[in-house]
Amino acid sequence: MQRFLALLAMSALSLGVALAQETADFYRQNCMSCHTIGGGRMTGPDLKNVTERKDRAWLSRFMMDPKGMMDSGDPYASKILQEARGVQMPALPGMTRARVEALLDLITEESAKEKSAFAGVQLSDRPFTDRDVEVGHNIFVGATSLKNNGPSCISCHTVNGIGGFGGGTLGPDLTTVFERYQGRKALSIWLSAPATPTMQSVFRKEPLESEEILSLVAYFQHTLTRNPEDASTARLNFILIGLAGTLIVLGVFDVVWNKRFRAVRRPLVQERQLESNA
Amino acid sequence: MNVRSQISMVFHLDKCIGCHTCSIACKNIWTDRKGTEYMWWNNVETKPGTGFPTKWEDQEKYRGGWELRDGKLVLKSTSKAKTVTNIFHNPSMPSMDDYYEPWTYKYDELFNAPEGSDQPTARPVSMVTGEYINVESGPNWDDDLGGSRIYAESDPNLKGLSEEQRQQLSAVERLVLFYFPRICNHCLNPSCVASCPSGALYKRGEDGIVLIDQKRCRGWRACVAACPYKKTFYNWSTGKSEKCVLCYPRLETGQAPACFHSCVGRIRYLGVLLYDADRLEEVAKLPDEQLIDGQRSLILDPHDPEVIAAARKNNIHDSVIESAQNSPVYKFVKEWKIALPPHIEYRTLPMLFYVPPMSPVMANRNDDTVSSVSDEFFHDIEQARVPLQFLANLFGAGHQGKLVYALKKQKAVRVYRRAKTVGDIPMKTAEAILREADCTVEEAERIYELTSLCTFEERFVIPPMHREEAIEMMKDPQEHKTAVGFGFMEPPERGL
Repeated sequence: MQRFLALLAMSALSLGVALAQETADFYRQNCMSCHTIGGGRMTGPDLKNVTERKDRAWLSRFMMDPKGMMDSGDPYASKILQEARGVQMPALPGMTRARVEALLDLITEESAKEKSAFAGVQLSDRPFTDRDVEVGHNIFVGATSLKNNGPSCISCHTVNGIGGFGGGTLGPDLTTVFERYQGRKALSIWLSAPATPTMQSVFRKEPLESEEILSLVAYFQHTLTRNPEDASTARLNFILIGLAGTLIVLGVFDVVWNKRFRAVRRPLVQERQLESNA
Repeated sequence: MNVRSQISMVFHLDKCIGCHTCSIACKNIWTDRKGTEYMWWNNVETKPGTGFPTKWEDQEKYRGGWELRDGKLVLKSTSKAKTVTNIFHNPSMPSMDDYYEPWTYKYDELFNAPEGSDQPTARPVSMVTGEYINVESGPNWDDDLGGSRIYAESDPNLKGLSEEQRQQLSAVERLVLFYFPRICNHCLNPSCVASCPSGALYKRGEDGIVLIDQKRCRGWRACVAACPYKKTFYNWSTGKSEKCVLCYPRLETGQAPACFHSCVGRIRYLGVLLYDADRLEEVAKLPDEQLIDGQRSLILDPHDPEVIAAARKNNIHDSVIESAQNSPVYKFVKEWKIALPPHIEYRTLPMLFYVPPMSPVMANRNDDTVSSVSDEFFHDIEQARVPLQFLANLFGAGHQGKLVYALKKQKAVRVYRRAKTVGDIPMKTAEAILREADCTVEEAERIYELTSLCTFEERFVIPPMHREEAIEMMKDPQEHKTAVGFGFMEPPERGL
């Protein structure tokens, strides 16, 4: 009997550990891109001691249906929306009541710690140097590969003045991303845990290092100063190079098929008629 | 010995009057459909002339047929690798202009013309685009234009003729032309079949007729480029290629093909030849001057017991063997050796043979009058209006030997018959000429009979086709009989 109880206790313990681990993963994947715990506000507010600011019942209602709460005119929810400059928290799939409780437990537990594991990436505040811009450029174009083997930015993105045919067009143009993400801190934090589905699935397992983030942000700040006219120059180059390529390919075809069949009857008749007229 | 049977043909050019009845008979039966207007599965050309399509014999341009390269027989126009690289652009493809753009006339404009001060005319319109066109060429544009400056002088067979001979061909008193009717040769080594990327062409096992499967054809047109005789055509309406089918539905019911049946000059002969398929490649690789002998050696004697036994072993029906024994083609080609294959240097081993034409008697010029009476009634063939080299280029791969033999024998038969019926030539002289031409009196009589007095049954010895046996290999003939109707269940269409 004692043995059985011990076994039960052990399995309950291991189940609890597993659950905690899963909750932490969930937090990392879904919450971290907008929230820190004790790291200051990003897109969303800092969650440190959130359970002391609002009661659990309100929090769980908000977490399960953020849009509903904001639309309902709840004053605190409206305040959050305003602070986030109108960015609504998305309704997350898999946000069950049990998951909400587990998450709140996790947040309470982490808030108690002096230095939470979810305080966000520790980014250096040192001013950018020209060297940072250069490294960032190399990372962007893939001349320097990312330490964790993530794909280089240029595979999907472009910025003005990158030369050649420009970068990829799958993702958005990043020339003014520094401005759009409201500065160094927010952009850095966003890069540390990208929130869009595409970026998330690409970088979840191969996150950027904090040094790389710093260089990239430096580079993006630099690209803000790029002349927007560069884009049309690139397009013109693209068309001109395309035309030249077409001519070269046609020329090659002409050489390869030089002995191709050309008209027989018409030249024969014309040639003979010319001869007899001469 | 791997004995196969092949329906083969002889065209006796000395009898062709160039009336185009064959072409019209064929057109009415087979190529009066949309997309086939420009096709002439049977056409009659004037030689010297450029033919249809223009200068088709110029393989430097058209690149049809086979050539020997490093001891290997390869297609001129394509290869396995080129099939891939050239599939969307075949560099050896003639355009419609090299055939001709078919046209009709706007007869409405004649009948519905408003009253006016001038005659109404029916303007020509293209049968392809429907637009008004200027008619610049046709399927027999150089018909009867022997000696013409554009066409006759551009005949590729003039190769190797001296400048004097060329000029004589267009001199008034030596002007000459003869007719050259052409259909698909149903070759033993067909380059069209070899070139098809879709495997749509095949040579029928039981009678050697070369056909295009209209269901498998994808319209790549490799056959159009590969056939040196330019006898496969692309139907722009159905998107499939088509060719002479030797009127197999008529043959299967015991009738001669339409062009044979309708021939006014009775120049056409049809019969079965037995040949040895094992030696095909070996023969097709022989040097030019040995090709005619090589092809003749492929044709087996249907009276030889060994050949009969081998033929039976290959499931050739006794009735087909019997038909081969009566074949007029065998007599012309193998026994008398007076019928020759056209352009055998293309190495497709054509199974349509031509008895070369005797030229009209030579004219003499006395002062300013031209007399058509020669000193000698049948002048020497060396003196013929058509230079021997010209005929040799057409029927002897450029070598005169076999051609001279065939012409001499024909002349000897003429002399012999003149001696016999008119008597103004001593019989002794006639017999001497026969001996010189390697011909006996009996043979001369038989050549004369099959040339001049031949009946329908003698000209066309059509074997029973035994389609039931061919069908048996795939299907129960009784079941097949109830499952097939008249032709296709659905018309051939583009795409898969």
